[in-house]
Amino acid sequence: MTGRIQHRETFLLNIAKQLGRSPKTELPRPTWQYQPQDRVLKDATKEELVAVLKKQCANIHTHIVISDTAKLSQDLQSVVDNYGGKSVITWKDERFKDYGLSQLMTEHWPQTNIELYEWNAQQQEENIRQAEKANIGITISEITLAESGTAVLFSSKDKGRSISFLPEKSIILIPKSTIVPRMTQAARWISEKIRRGEKIASCINFITGPSNSADIEMILIVGVHGPIQATYIVIEDR
Amino acid sequence: MAMKTSDDRFHHRVTKELENQFMRSAVSSAQERFQTRRLQQAEELGHWEEWRAHGEEIRKHVLENLDYYLYQLSENVSKRGGHVFFAQTAQEATDYIQSIAKKKDAAKIVKSKSMVTEEINLNVALEELGCEVIETDLGEYILQVADHEPPSHIVAPALHKNKEQIRDVFKEKQGYDQTEKPEELALYVREKLRNDYLTAEIGITGCNFAIAESGSITLVTNEGNADLVTALPKTQITVMGMERIVPTFEEMEVLVSLLTRSAVGQKLTSYITTLTGIKDEGDTDGPEEFHLVIVDNGRSAILGSEFQPILQCIRCAACVNACPVYRHVGGHTYGSIYSGPVGVVLSPLLGGYDDFKELPYASTLCGACTDACPVKIPLHQLIHRHRQVIVENEGKAPVSEKLLMKAFGLGASSPTLYKMATKMATPVMSPFTKDNTISNGPGPLKAWTEARDFPAPNKDNFRDWMKHRTKGGDHK
Amino acid sequence: MNVSLFATCLVDMFQGNVGKAVVEVLERLGCTIDFPENQICCGQPAYNSGYVKESKNAMKKMITTFEHAEYVVSPSGSCAFMFKEYPLVFKGDPIWEPKAQALADKTYEFTEFIVHVLKVEDVGAHLEGHATYHTSCHMTRLLGVTEAPFKLLKNVKGLHYVDLPGKDRCCGFGGTFSVKMGNISGEMVNEKVHNVEETGANILIGADAGCLMNIGGRIQRQGKPIKVMHIAEVLNCQ
Repeated sequence: MTGRIQHRETFLLNIAKQLGRSPKTELPRPTWQYQPQDRVLKDATKEELVAVLKKQCANIHTHIVISDTAKLSQDLQSVVDNYGGKSVITWKDERFKDYGLSQLMTEHWPQTNIELYEWNAQQQEENIRQAEKANIGITISEITLAESGTAVLFSSKDKGRSISFLPEKSIILIPKSTIVPRMTQAARWISEKIRRGEKIASCINFITGPSNSADIEMILIVGVHGPIQATYIVIEDR
Repeated sequence: MAMKTSDDRFHHRVTKELENQFMRSAVSSAQERFQTRRLQQAEELGHWEEWRAHGEEIRKHVLENLDYYLYQLSENVSKRGGHVFFAQTAQEATDYIQSIAKKKDAAKIVKSKSMVTEEINLNVALEELGCEVIETDLGEYILQVADHEPPSHIVAPALHKNKEQIRDVFKEKQGYDQTEKPEELALYVREKLRNDYLTAEIGITGCNFAIAESGSITLVTNEGNADLVTALPKTQITVMGMERIVPTFEEMEVLVSLLTRSAVGQKLTSYITTLTGIKDEGDTDGPEEFHLVIVDNGRSAILGSEFQPILQCIRCAACVNACPVYRHVGGHTYGSIYSGPVGVVLSPLLGGYDDFKELPYASTLCGACTDACPVKIPLHQLIHRHRQVIVENEGKAPVSEKLLMKAFGLGASSPTLYKMATKMATPVMSPFTKDNTISNGPGPLKAWTEARDFPAPNKDNFRDWMKHRTKGGDHK
Repeated sequence: MNVSLFATCLVDMFQGNVGKAVVEVLERLGCTIDFPENQICCGQPAYNSGYVKESKNAMKKMITTFEHAEYVVSPSGSCAFMFKEYPLVFKGDPIWEPKAQALADKTYEFTEFIVHVLKVEDVGAHLEGHATYHTSCHMTRLLGVTEAPFKLLKNVKGLHYVDLPGKDRCCGFGGTFSVKMGNISGEMVNEKVHNVEETGANILIGADAGCLMNIGGRIQRQGKPIKVMHIAEVLNCQ
């Protein structure tokens, strides 16, 4: 379904007139004189990027755990325990199984009174209700920006947006292979996708730590409308 | 709230705000924190001048090709199921948004922070329909509860209020019974607004940057409120100033990097959210209906004029944080939702010289704003340009000043008259002079001598000294 | 080297001592000084108030007056910058733009001239005291002279330098701003003097007569034991 466009012609004609020319319908991709963004962390190795990410997490009030597939279950368990367990909501995502988390999530948690809800595209109202009451939301970063300590989440029918901001605590799994220097690489990747004619997610969220505000006397409050606490678990995946 | 926030006279506002000691100390310490953090981030990033130059070239390119990019944007929004409405005036924008609210039979509307919706006075238009409109940004929410006080800073709207005042506002209006601790106040608002997000029929946002190549809009926040506003209500309306657009994700990234560092000294804020069209099939969260309202409201008249660079603005408020005048008078003195140097330039352009003719004089032309601007808007030059327009085109300069300047035109350009003036200065000023000092001067000097002494003119004229020694070859 | 002195109206009218110091320092450094008698005001007060047309007469007169000069030196960053601005004012004027450009190209602020043209950093000055320095806005930001005064002050024997807190901030002079917005200007200079006092310095140095008149006027009003000196006066102390 395409949307309506109203009053476009006169509006754009007026702009062209103000700019003293006829309307432009074609424009080659601009070439820029400056490109400082590529220099940031240009030659950093993966290990160095992990170190940058780790350091940045201190600035963004985010707990970071370096893990690998062998001890991921154990590490995730301890973060969940630290957050008081209770109830967890996750995406419906094959990768949890790939990372060897099935046993923990589907067997261990129910046995220890940790309620698990997996996002279900067939139950929309229930999804929101569960996300709203869940203590912890678990998601997976598609691209991770070392410089700013940012996880990038792509929404889909199985990957609800709300999981990353309705629950009080947010855990984001970060496959080490997803770590890039900065937002530049992520933006370029998305742009290239668009140029190839691929459809991008309706919500791409660049998340940097828990929500916060300094609106009251410039005093930093961590945890406002979104999560109050956040943990990144970096997984050595290859 | 419309753009104009006060009917009081400018000089009254100055006097009043200068007496507001809490505001002044809050503003000066906020300025220092913002500034320190901004400079620290710029330093850490490295090659800051190149970043600024890149930011500037992107913004300039977009303005030069604005019709092209708006066309591309609207096509792409439409392809992803969104409706686009181009509004020439504030009235057209609010009429359109009212019509959606009516169609949706909206009782409750949640909003994330947006300057352009304040500019077009959207909340009032929606409240006229009987809708409850809730600002969800913490600072904006505080001001809304405090009987719709105007914002005093583009990024930190409630900067002028202290935590005790905020506690009292919540107590008086909503029966809040906890302490003034910021964490408690924030938690209170978090809990209070949760249900509103879940029950609102419409979510309204502003737009930091629209992305033409994909029809996406980018929202930059720390609180996460924009995510809730756009994920939960079934209808989303985004209002954008027509210039807030970039070609692709790649340029968005550069400008966001400049924005978050310049605005709050963060590498990125907690949430940079890019939203494209309506939610996809099978998606739970996200809007079923999306409207993008693109607002001109006086902007196109700036295009092609000498003031065009002000449209490069990305609303980071770095200029506000650097301004030594804002530091003392705070945001409310400007009488506009846009305060500080950007407000000085933008308010007369969007709101007319009648209401904002004093603003261009509320600057020492020190250039701190221009230096701070991440997209290199020559702010102090534009402020100067306003003065010229006021004198030459608007005829709004005081008569006494015009006469004085006319005399200046004559006097300063005639060496004879000028020399006479330098010689006459001593006898003319002598009645006011005591111990080589004037502490209670006449005419315009009075404003000077309120706070400081004025030196008496030289008794032994420099010119005479110079002439004398050259003539006599006296090189001692 | 032949230097034509552009004294500025404030020096001409109120601060003859500064003019004298400039002449003596430059002569000591081997310059021949000429003082074109026909010089008037650079036009800045009218120009900055928006009276561009009115100010052009003064500007043309100044361009003509200094046409013969090899170097033009001014003991004021702000007034020197005004000369640099002339080409912009006369942009597109076939006669006056090139002339304005020629003047701009040979104009220097006093300290900039000593350090960059004469290539001298130690003028052999001697002054005992604790001093702080006010970096004036036009000189620093617009003219871009940031290092020269400090290089020169560093070599003044007996002078102990203390950094001024908030040194990047305007003192509130701003030409006509100081009378048009007298109360705001008064608060600004009050803060500036407070900062000067905090340094514990007994000498305040600057390179712009306007700022010094403003800050000095406030210091005098408050009866603070701080001596206000133009940098030329400091460099002239032996």
